[in-house]
Amino acid sequence: MATDTRVILICSGKGGVGKTTLTANLGISLARQGLTTAVLDADFGLRNLDLLLGLENRIVYTAQEVLEEECRLDQALVKHKQESNLSLLPAGNPRMLDWLKPDDMKRIVDMLKEQFNYVLIDCPAGVEDGFKNAMAASQEAIVVTNPEVSAVRDADRVIGLLNTNAIKPVQLVLNRVRPKMMANQEMLSIDDVTDILALPLLGLVLEDEQVIVSTNRGEPLTLNSVNSPAAKCYLNIAKRLQGEDIPLIDPVEESSGFGAKFRKLMQTKIF
Amino acid sequence: MNSIPQKIIVNIEDSKYLSWKLCLINKLKSLKSTNIEIDCKNLDLSCTDILEIISIAKENNCEIIGFCSTSLKTIVSSQSLGCKSQFIIENNSNETLKINEKSLTFSKTYFHQGTVRSGEYIESSGDLLILGDVNPGAKVSAEGNIIIWGRLLGIAHAGNKGNSQATISALQLRPVQLRIAKKVARGPKEKPQIGLAEQARIDSEEIIISPLETS
Ligand SMILES: Nc1ncnc2c1ncn2[C@@H]1O[C@H](COP(=O)(O)OP(=O)(O)O)[C@@H](O)[C@H]1O
Ligand SMILES: [Mg+2]
Repeated sequence: MATDTRVILICSGKGGVGKTTLTANLGISLARQGLTTAVLDADFGLRNLDLLLGLENRIVYTAQEVLEEECRLDQALVKHKQESNLSLLPAGNPRMLDWLKPDDMKRIVDMLKEQFNYVLIDCPAGVEDGFKNAMAASQEAIVVTNPEVSAVRDADRVIGLLNTNAIKPVQLVLNRVRPKMMANQEMLSIDDVTDILALPLLGLVLEDEQVIVSTNRGEPLTLNSVNSPAAKCYLNIAKRLQGEDIPLIDPVEESSGFGAKFRKLMQTKIF
Repeated sequence: MNSIPQKIIVNIEDSKYLSWKLCLINKLKSLKSTNIEIDCKNLDLSCTDILEIISIAKENNCEIIGFCSTSLKTIVSSQSLGCKSQFIIENNSNETLKINEKSLTFSKTYFHQGTVRSGEYIESSGDLLILGDVNPGAKVSAEGNIIIWGRLLGIAHAGNKGNSQATISALQLRPVQLRIAKKVARGPKEKPQIGLAEQARIDSEEIIISPLETS
């Protein structure tokens, strides 16, 4: 039995910023470090964590049957084919949203805590019941955002709610960073984002076409394409989560030619 | 081994002296080459006053390591000049508030500590004091003045029941929108000057923004 399980909520406010992709890749990366990890799909409305992990066809039971005591937890957990330290607890059908209460989420997470080092909760978008249920069961949180004004605004809203609910630490992942656009000031700079959100930056993830390819294949990037730019970012985030002191990836090196411009950009504000 | 410099606190509000300036000069005469912290008590000092204190200290070979005060105006002034500043809320905070309020027209000050984030709304039926940033998407509103010890990037409405004397002050005033009484203005586009606190008020029917003068 794992004693100090870390239960981490992966949330964003806005949809489509990369929560599910981060959950899947972080799950793989942590599992590869030898940590038993459960990923819980709390996005009952738009479940797709199973798809990203390529486990869709192996789901028999879901969190719903566990809660209704129609099956045991270990019957519902789907173990990953290649990374046996990683298991998925699939979301039930969307109608669960009608009756699910914060206490139900807590019950599920308490069960997972008995077996795993990490529990990652893939949170639905928005700040309504789905988010609140998932938050109730979490201890700490990772807020995912993009360098866009609307995504940052929504992340800020979510951070306010996490703070009032005493979730901590709350750390930031800035996803879909494009050094070229940042250099041209067509995108918010890293400073612009951290300035507003005032959170420690757990990591950056570069924009990477490979993410889309891997999503379609149902193989998270970190599983097979460890050398792609985004995969390195995900691996670093997992290591930092474990307390390793890894310097932030320098987008300059990932996209040579923008060196000086980008460095200058890190110091300017365009808000 | 004595790596922590000795700190001496100089209280510049002393009824023995006619003004804080005389008080400071006299007290510094007896101290040479020391690190001092200036306790401004409840004096309301402007940026000019703070600069003067710094230059008086220099003349007396003293190094100021910080200011403390129970007056928010003083703290905003010293903070905006980049000095280490500590806002003191006295134990008997009700009484302190009453003293400070004698000069103000409003009865209650609402304090909020921490960042006001997107979607959050804070309201006061008196003055409103925020120690932290007001982020884009957040809104703060008060019947009296609004003082933000941080950046104002969201929306602020001072004098929300019609008081057109109300002001909005912030270390950095770059809101989406400003309202004072019934007047509405959009925030300025140009970047703020670093290190100068700013204040918005109504002057001949227009909302104007100028560097904060507190006296
Ligand atoms: N770093 C990235 N580079 C390129 N595409 C990305 C990146 N991160 C996410 N995406 C794409 O963005 C879309 C939304 O991602 P997803 O993880 O499903 O977001 P969410 O769970 O927050 O709704 C997906 O199509 C995904 O492939
Ligand atoms: Mg998702």
